[in-house]
Amino acid sequence: MSYKIYEINEEFLDVMPQEIKDLQFRATWGNPKRGVMDLPYSKELIEEHSLCAGCPESMALRYILASLPNPEDTIIVNSTGCTSLVFPHIALHTVHSLFGNQNAVASGIKRVLEWRFPDKVKDVVVLAGDGATVDIGLDCTLQSFFRQEKITTICFDNEVYANTGGQESGLTVKGHVFKMAPKGKQWDKVPFWQIAIDSGCHYVARLTVSSPKKVETVIKKAIYVAREVGPTYVHLYTPCILEIGLNSDDGLDEMRQRDKERFAFFEYMTPQAQEVIERKKEEGLL
Amino acid sequence: MYYVAEVINEECSKYNCKQCTLFCPEPNTLMYTDDEHHAYVIQERCKGCALCVYVCSTLLKRNAIHMVMPEVHAEK
Repeated sequence: MSYKIYEINEEFLDVMPQEIKDLQFRATWGNPKRGVMDLPYSKELIEEHSLCAGCPESMALRYILASLPNPEDTIIVNSTGCTSLVFPHIALHTVHSLFGNQNAVASGIKRVLEWRFPDKVKDVVVLAGDGATVDIGLDCTLQSFFRQEKITTICFDNEVYANTGGQESGLTVKGHVFKMAPKGKQWDKVPFWQIAIDSGCHYVARLTVSSPKKVETVIKKAIYVAREVGPTYVHLYTPCILEIGLNSDDGLDEMRQRDKERFAFFEYMTPQAQEVIERKKEEGLL
Repeated sequence: MYYVAEVINEECSKYNCKQCTLFCPEPNTLMYTDDEHHAYVIQERCKGCALCVYVCSTLLKRNAIHMVMPEVHAEK
């Protein structure tokens, strides 16, 4: 919870792995204007991960971690799913909650941090898949919205339970067939971005990760609004290329196609959220 | 062993787009050098997905990246 934990004792500098040294000297700390355009030059906060070659979710994680305005004081809460394979490779404080209760855990962490560090800004960000957010964790997710917890919830929607072999989720599109949903889904996809609005979120966005700069802007808006106003929700389409039968270089094309239809960019904000966003724009932070 | 991405420096340095570095799913794998004005691949980290080739060749029509057998394995 502080940049100091990344500072290496000088006595050990000669024996530390290069990646650890890079975290101290080449990562972008302490700069709220950091963003995806730092990616070609700086050390990223995510290290070699175990997601599949070409996985759009790993693109999303790169953009999100590059966009956090305050990474040294950010706690990430995640849940079971492909994302949980990545968190051991992230150089931030992460908490792997039980499947589905990530928003409840995040609420507790946020409250304690506000009490323990009243003079510091501490961001709590939930990163979870569609199963954890909308199916198994629906209760905890919605209750955190109802309680107006000041946390940012980011849902990686791949429209299927991917790493358990392809079961349908609430966010699967009607009619889609998967290995373990052979009859095809019989019900409509849950419009969770709309439910988030109705449940009290102050900033809601729905998009694919086909545009890094757009993802950066949305993530920053969501975090700034959550800091001051209340819960925010970002719905990202990160298709599972394996489960929908695409090649490793097809993920971006798939997202570009969906940009034009069910994942067309959508943004909602309350007047309080708009006020925060306008102020941050004037400060040059957005 | 599998194919990995390799930047054709002379082609890449004609542009200043850096798009491949953004769309690569692997962290710190496709980087950019301002001194030489081209992207470069850290091949030990490349998983060979070829998304960078899709971005550079199919989307941008620049053909500055191709997939190759890494030198260290090509001899074996």
